[in-house]
Amino acid sequence: MYIFENAFRNVLRNKGRNTLVGAIILAVIVTTVIALMISTTASGIIDDYKGRFSSEVQIKPNMQKVRDEAMKNSTNGMVRMTMPTLSAEEYIAYGESEYLAGSLYTASAGVVSDNLTSIDGELGGGNGVMITRMGGMPGEENGVQPKEFMMSLQGNKFSEFEDGTRALSSGEMPDAIDECLVSSELAELNNIKIGDTFTFSGEVSNLKEGIVQPTSYTLTVVGTYYDLTEEYGTAAQQNAYTNRRNEILTTYDTVAQEFVAGMNGIRIEGAFYLKEPGMLDAFTSELRNKGLAEVFDATTDTATYEKIVGPVEGLKGISVTFMIVVLVFGGIIIALLSSIAIRERKYEIGVLRAMGMKKLKVALGLWTEMIIVTCACLVIGLGIGSAAAQPVTNTLLEGQIQAAEQAQVQSQSPYGGMGGMMMGSGGGMLSGTANTNAEPLSELDVSLDLNTTLEITGIALSLATLAALISISRITKYEPIKILMERN
Amino acid sequence: MSILALQNVSYKYEGTKKSVLKGVTAEFEAGKVYTIVGKSGSGKSTMLSLIAGLDICKDGEILYNSKNLRNIDRDEYRAKGIGVIFQAYNLITNATAVQNIVLSMNISASKEKNKKAFAYSLLERVGIDRETADRTVLKLSGGEQQRVGIARALSHNPDIIIADEPTGNLDKDTEAEVLKIFTSLAHDDGKCVIIVTHSRRVSDIADVILGISEGKISVVKHQKH
Repeated sequence: MYIFENAFRNVLRNKGRNTLVGAIILAVIVTTVIALMISTTASGIIDDYKGRFSSEVQIKPNMQKVRDEAMKNSTNGMVRMTMPTLSAEEYIAYGESEYLAGSLYTASAGVVSDNLTSIDGELGGGNGVMITRMGGMPGEENGVQPKEFMMSLQGNKFSEFEDGTRALSSGEMPDAIDECLVSSELAELNNIKIGDTFTFSGEVSNLKEGIVQPTSYTLTVVGTYYDLTEEYGTAAQQNAYTNRRNEILTTYDTVAQEFVAGMNGIRIEGAFYLKEPGMLDAFTSELRNKGLAEVFDATTDTATYEKIVGPVEGLKGISVTFMIVVLVFGGIIIALLSSIAIRERKYEIGVLRAMGMKKLKVALGLWTEMIIVTCACLVIGLGIGSAAAQPVTNTLLEGQIQAAEQAQVQSQSPYGGMGGMMMGSGGGMLSGTANTNAEPLSELDVSLDLNTTLEITGIALSLATLAALISISRITKYEPIKILMERN
Repeated sequence: MSILALQNVSYKYEGTKKSVLKGVTAEFEAGKVYTIVGKSGSGKSTMLSLIAGLDICKDGEILYNSKNLRNIDRDEYRAKGIGVIFQAYNLITNATAVQNIVLSMNISASKEKNKKAFAYSLLERVGIDRETADRTVLKLSGGEQQRVGIARALSHNPDIIIADEPTGNLDKDTEAEVLKIFTSLAHDDGKCVIIVTHSRRVSDIADVILGISEGKISVVKHQKH
């Protein structure tokens, strides 16, 4: 106990020296607090986005490969580009993989209803089948004219309810087969009430074979939803079929029940979630072994991830680098100061040793002094660091966003080279960096959590211990008689 | 029986060829005051350093209660067995007088319940009043620092008290007081008091006067009081 009391008195007695050491430690702690707060928050965000973008695998047709395939199979100058699809069975087979943490299936189909009026019905209908004659117009095939739909059934497509652009306005979410939600606009237009039942008809077809098979769904409305999404979203054409207010939301099983393998008309998609982002190659290899055609690519959304998270990663890199530099230089300065301080205190140590104080207790006293100074700096440093972290983060992040934007502008310039790589990469539509409309994260709300506080405390105590160790290593070389003789 | 014995002790400083002490043999008993006299550089302070356990002799043995200093915990010995009054005081200069005494008591793990009160009483005994006791050592005169040094040496109630010119900075009245304390410590409390001095007045209180010359020690005089 007296060691602590004596150390505390010594801290107060040697104000000048301890203020100098304290100032260095404080600077190191403040910098570390800011850097760790930024780093921890950034790491959390990076991990979150990495999990979201790097773990979600989608199997999509590679348009370049589809085009190449169509050109190769063309015999009469007509290039038929049919969007290849995967059957529900294939999706389910692909979903059974040791690399996956889970799978999510969705299905969509165009429909019409004799009893319901579509929003923007005057614009006509549409369909998802694309037939293109080189230099010609879309048209019939084998005497079959593709049916045009006025609405669409969307099975298990509820992601907008999670991001807030859609919300339940009445009733409940569909849970069982043949239950559905309609938009509040569609409900208003048709005076739909919860519990009403409607029949929708569609078709599945194989235009190449000239086969068309009608489909029918009888759905019960269990709720309505507000819709804040863009009415036509990214649709190339505006008609009743592409108007998102005409989307009837239901379960995957409801839509997939009419699916027929080898027939177009019901589009089934699956999103697979890897256990680890790094398992993509192994998973793709497994898909190929299970028979996934070469026209399909298994991709993650790395471009969006990089665009959104890139500045944050840059910010984290800067903060960590800065922290390491400060810790190294701070550590060296503290070590030097300790070395000088202990020379000044040689006489005092000699007296203590002459009085019979053991080396270990002298060392403990010096360490305690350093810990007292460090703890005081830690309290002040945590306060200053916490207050300064947000403005520093905002400034640094702004710089990173500007740098990322400049880099993107350069990459999109005629001389940047990236424009040509988009088509040639063969990596699908998301391989390039300029392909996403996603906005980079412009705000990073840093906060001091318990783990960060403990890390900072650990770093500060390590610094104090380093300084004390320098002193202690010198004490071991001191013999009291020599010190006192030098002095006397 | 002697509390402290030097047996054929020789010593020379590192890097020098000349021995400061050459085969010194002496015995010190409890309850007596010893003074060691000799010219400057004769080895008096070196002998005190060895007795104080601040250094270890290269040849010969120093026995404390029949135990060789080389084989015992000398930190413990300095903290509890011996009280040293340095010629240059060797106090913690930025601490107060009373803090110096309390620190010494703490190091020796003194069982005194109220260490501070005991420290004040010790200081009062050597002529340091309470106000002076609360001043930092740097603000005390040489004589006051010497008295604080004496009080510190007594603070842990050691068996042996050694003093290197303890009254060199004291006025006659204080010197007399301090010498009375030393005599009392030896004759009343049974301590062994060893004083290195040039002062005739100090030697006068000694039971045994030892002389050092050319690194050798000899009894100069036995005195009865």
